[in-house]
Amino acid sequence: MHHVVVERWSRRSSPLHARDARAKLGALLAFLVAISTTPPQAARAFVAYSALLAVAIVSARLPFQGLLGRAALVLPLSATFAAVTWWSGDPARAIALAVKSFISGLAALLLVATTPLTQLLNALESLGVPRPLILVVQFLYRYLFVISEQAQHMRLAARCRQGLGLDRRSRFYAAAGALGVLFARSWERADGIYRAMLARGFSGRFSPLAPARFGARDFAFLCAAVAASTAIRLAL
Amino acid sequence: MHIPDGFLSPAVWATLDLVSVPAVGLLARKAQRDLEDRKIPLLGVMGAFVFAAQMINFPVGPGTTGHLVGGTLLAVTLGPAAAAVVMTAILAIQAFVFQDGGIVVLGANVFNMAIASVLAGYLPYRLWAGSGWRSAAIFAGGVLSVLTSACLALAQLLISGVPMPRRLMLVSLGLFLVSGLIEGAVTLAAVRAIERLNPVWIRSPKDSGSRVLGAVAIAAVTLVAGGVLIASAAPDGIWSLVGKLGLTAQTAPWLHAPLADYQVNGLESAWLRKATAGLFGLVLVYVACFLTGKFIARQRSI
Repeated sequence: MHHVVVERWSRRSSPLHARDARAKLGALLAFLVAISTTPPQAARAFVAYSALLAVAIVSARLPFQGLLGRAALVLPLSATFAAVTWWSGDPARAIALAVKSFISGLAALLLVATTPLTQLLNALESLGVPRPLILVVQFLYRYLFVISEQAQHMRLAARCRQGLGLDRRSRFYAAAGALGVLFARSWERADGIYRAMLARGFSGRFSPLAPARFGARDFAFLCAAVAASTAIRLAL
Repeated sequence: MHIPDGFLSPAVWATLDLVSVPAVGLLARKAQRDLEDRKIPLLGVMGAFVFAAQMINFPVGPGTTGHLVGGTLLAVTLGPAAAAVVMTAILAIQAFVFQDGGIVVLGANVFNMAIASVLAGYLPYRLWAGSGWRSAAIFAGGVLSVLTSACLALAQLLISGVPMPRRLMLVSLGLFLVSGLIEGAVTLAAVRAIERLNPVWIRSPKDSGSRVLGAVAIAAVTLVAGGVLIASAAPDGIWSLVGKLGLTAQTAPWLHAPLADYQVNGLESAWLRKATAGLFGLVLVYVACFLTGKFIARQRSI
């Protein structure tokens, strides 16, 4: 599946991978806020943001094309809105809209591609996001692929059985039935997971293999990223 | 519709982040009070179910298919607070892992699709489930949930200054209405299928409200969603109305958001003020997050 690529990227090693997730999260936020507050006419600022991002991508040692391709997923939507904006007579704003959404998406992708999701969630928790929400996200991600595959199997089975050419109404109700079965299986799976967790003495948190440490290098990285974003925003 | 980064103006997303963070915190606490310990894995797995359910195609017209969005179905099975938490988790995964929706605008997306949409989708069920209009309530919930989130997203884009010609707006509203009707039909069919397997999975509200009250409440939600959209499409009209009523003097400081219009002018304007406003907004968001987290941690019983 598509997403697995990002997860594989996140387990590589590079100077950017080695930084603490909190530092990377702070750097991303500063970068995104700087982009978001940049006025549309500031073309030089957007060039500088792209250059900054390119430096980060190079230091992450990730495939350039692959990253750009994934980040381009946002383009159909933003190109549509940009076209409408252009058409209503504001070309500068139209270009800024497309550029802003692409650079922002690429920056967010770079964070996920250099940080395993567990580390990212632990960082979010240590920054104050409520634990129940973090736990729900963790379970969701863990079982996303399991249940998606179950749904794919069910869809394949339904296709195999539909050689008889049902009419639309019956196909609609067949799909509803499949949804009900998927719901029931998911619910029962959740019950099973909870029993297994109890049996293993789950304490309410997933403990990381290595405790995250916010070192001097992380601090330096965070300061550099915030300073660079702010400088571009204010000077150009 | 997942809004990407770069579409909303800073004032809009900062405000919605500020609204969403405490709201999600409160809903998470409420969900935890309603449900037992057992439900944390359940909420995660049901989020995965909603993701997976999008692979099941429902034939709705010649050559077209629709799929479940899920807010109303989750609200009817898990309760509205838990459903909002699950939808928030889904949006977070979509933003971070699938690049579907932005990071700084996550608060806006959560507000539209996890909070407002789920609550609007649950409202008819809460009011009509006890009466004979149960099926109609589930259908109306699906329609309302999609329409509410669509109207809010469009309004936020308009307030942020993304231009939208009237004709395009009508076309997109029409499309959203159609997808709302599909969501209503799919939700109703899914609830019936689930009920046949095990009726316990569908919650039933304790007291039954009156039909009239329900109709009034639903009309109110529709009016508010539509009103927000119209107000943001024609702010000049609102302002002239305000001027006619002679309210300008009193209301101006209220209507100006504290961090508003610091992006309007070009490079020449006071950059220090903007930087301070941006930084102040970030600090506010962070403090709100942190306090909610502490508040919830104190109440937690895991």
